[in-house]
Amino acid sequence: MFPTLLGVAVLTFVLLRIVPGDVVEARYVAAGQGQFFSKELLAQERAKLGLDKPLWRQFVDWMWGIVRLDLGTSMWTGAPITQEIKLRFALSLQVAIMASIVATLLAIPLGIVAALKQDTWVDYAVRVFSIAGLATPSFWLGILMILGFLIIFRWLPPMVYTPFWVDPWQNLAQLIWPALAVGYRYSAVATRMTRSTMLEVLREDYIRTARAKGLWEQLILKRHALKNAILPVVTVIGLEFAFLLGGLVVTEQVFNLNGLGLLFVEAIARRDYTLTQALVLLVSSAFIVVNFLMDVMYAWLDPRIRYR
Amino acid sequence: MAIRVPLDTTVEAARAEHRRGWMTVALAFCRRRSLGAAGAVVVLLMIAVGLTATLIAPYDPLAVDFGGMLARPSADHWLGTDAFGRDVLSRLIYGSRTALMVGFGAAFFGATAGAILGVGSAYFGGRVDLYLQRLMDVFISFPLIILALAMVAILGNSLPNVITAITIPMIPRCALVIRSSALSIRDMPYVDAARTSGFGHARIILRHMLPNVMAPYLIMLTAFLGQAILLEASLSFLGLGVQEPVAAWGLMLRGAAVDFAETAPWMAIFPGLAISLAVFAFNLFGDSLRDALDPRLRVL
Repeated sequence: MFPTLLGVAVLTFVLLRIVPGDVVEARYVAAGQGQFFSKELLAQERAKLGLDKPLWRQFVDWMWGIVRLDLGTSMWTGAPITQEIKLRFALSLQVAIMASIVATLLAIPLGIVAALKQDTWVDYAVRVFSIAGLATPSFWLGILMILGFLIIFRWLPPMVYTPFWVDPWQNLAQLIWPALAVGYRYSAVATRMTRSTMLEVLREDYIRTARAKGLWEQLILKRHALKNAILPVVTVIGLEFAFLLGGLVVTEQVFNLNGLGLLFVEAIARRDYTLTQALVLLVSSAFIVVNFLMDVMYAWLDPRIRYR
Repeated sequence: MAIRVPLDTTVEAARAEHRRGWMTVALAFCRRRSLGAAGAVVVLLMIAVGLTATLIAPYDPLAVDFGGMLARPSADHWLGTDAFGRDVLSRLIYGSRTALMVGFGAAFFGATAGAILGVGSAYFGGRVDLYLQRLMDVFISFPLIILALAMVAILGNSLPNVITAITIPMIPRCALVIRSSALSIRDMPYVDAARTSGFGHARIILRHMLPNVMAPYLIMLTAFLGQAILLEASLSFLGLGVQEPVAAWGLMLRGAAVDFAETAPWMAIFPGLAISLAVFAFNLFGDSLRDALDPRLRVL
């Protein structure tokens, strides 16, 4: 876990510094006012941000901050990064959770039905539905949704974020749409996974035994089949969830959501090293932690698995 | 991603199919997997459209016509015009070139580099394997789009750079899958035999191991095709992929398409349909290919 995170940190640090230009340049020179600022001023600005220190020193400082749970301040705004991230994180987390719920609610029933009716029209319909989900860019689905609302209902979802605890309805009216657009795409992988693992499990001997002893079909499905088929599905949903936190970049743009994805694009464009590093580290640690939790959950869901 | 390759059967079947000639195999594939064949037909059509773009496009995709801005679909402009009066159909046709080049380029380089790394990692084992796997873990813990974004920021956004940016996040994903297939091949008697015959590492990897991971390689390659097209569309939608005035589907959905969505919905609808149809076709084909080659392989 920690070596991987350290690797991510090093890679991000290096990649960012390979990107041409830095935050000072992005602020003064790229704005087309380069000629008004002397080299000395730019050097001064860099010194203020600690960009004049040797690279290893910058890295060590950053790591030392992380160890003390201090993410530092944004190079662009000067505000503490925790403060920059807080609200946006809440938004992205909520959309990710809602999208996961949408995906789970779609994927598991559809996957089971498709597996039970293998090679009938139901199965084909589910498969086409899920492949279409994989093929449709969620940002386009978002555009279509907004277009549909506008043309049919002359209504637009609210464009300003209200936290859930302030006004739950307003909040849901805004966030349910991106959650649906992303959730559909994300359900596709999980549906296919449910279908294929169910198909595998349904061919097992113990299912035949259960059927032979005249067990109620529903019980066979729930207790014998689904319980054994669900593991890989849980993995898929979990991993996708972790990626959603940072991977909403494009969908957020469509729905005008001020989430982590948008922040990330901005941070890269402004060469805001500290903010970009913090965001990448946040998303990849979410991924690594979820991965770890999955392993723990595996052992819990499947008593056959034991870790030494 | 657990993979169990029923090796002898796959290899034997592949040999048998090889003897029958590729036409027979293709015909059998069409008969048994009609969905996949349908996908393949759409893909072939798309390639044909991309190749003949200069002949079949009714207008120059870059020709600006401020007199005919935002024109509805009509006999002159089948799919309407955009905010600069450019013909949407022609831009879609030329856009297929961008999509195909990025799709095939990124998928081919990504899967190939991944296969070589994966097989090498499995073959050498020990330290090399360990370090390579750790490195892959690091790359995989970035979401696909974030790594691609970072790569574009570093490389810049010309077409070859966009292809490279999409290729890089795909390599470790392919390497992971190929490695686990290759692990079971490493201990095969014929690899031992090759080693005892004194063949070099390169020869064993290239001649003895790579051909036997062809099935997962092709599966990953086809799975990447759709993903790469989708990723390219997302990047250009964000304005970070190829730049105007190049015709690219994601780019067509950007900016004006959203601003004028109410009055000129065709600008937003058709490019999205093109992306979905292309990726859908690639996925259908890839899926059936996977079912045919190795149904137990899971591609995420």
